[in-house]
Amino acid sequence: MRTAVIRGHVTATVKHPSFHGARLLVAVPESDDVSPQIVLDNLGAAIGQRVIISSDGAEARQMVKNESSPARWSVTGIIDPEGALAV
Amino acid sequence: MKLGTIIGRVTLSVRHPAYRGERLMLTLPWRRETLCGEQNFDPSIVVYDQLGADADQTIVISEGREAACPFPEPTPVDAYCAALVDEMFIPSKP
Repeated sequence: MRTAVIRGHVTATVKHPSFHGARLLVAVPESDDVSPQIVLDNLGAAIGQRVIISSDGAEARQMVKNESSPARWSVTGIIDPEGALAV
Repeated sequence: MKLGTIIGRVTLSVRHPAYRGERLMLTLPWRRETLCGEQNFDPSIVVYDQLGADADQTIVISEGREAACPFPEPTPVDAYCAALVDEMFIPSKP
């Protein structure tokens, strides 16, 4: 799992059938020198938000309900914005 | 899953029997600089394509074990073209 920032989203007409209706976001991991990843999202992450992304393919396949899906990365959580915790 | 830009195609006569009707596309995976418009890519990889991708197209590449998931039998594929990108919405950093 990595922390990443959502930078945008992608639309595709021609895609693996398992991706129909899926939200594909562009996530840039915060650790240096890691390539941007296309991630599945069903939590509703917005552009600019910090998220946790996971490379667990089994979880991604469950998310699209298709065992033959090539999906790998998915958003597993949205990190609270700084200062969100009331002290 | 990474983004990639297709630069060409590889054809083979002698190959693994699991490769049937395949298109093997030579692809440059994107780096984080590429998102900012720079022509700076990772070293090229060969991507198995069933969607009909063409040169200069941007695709979504599924890598690793998941790349072989669409195949009913074990197939030696570790990069699979999962989607052809129509449009990308990436607002520039504030």
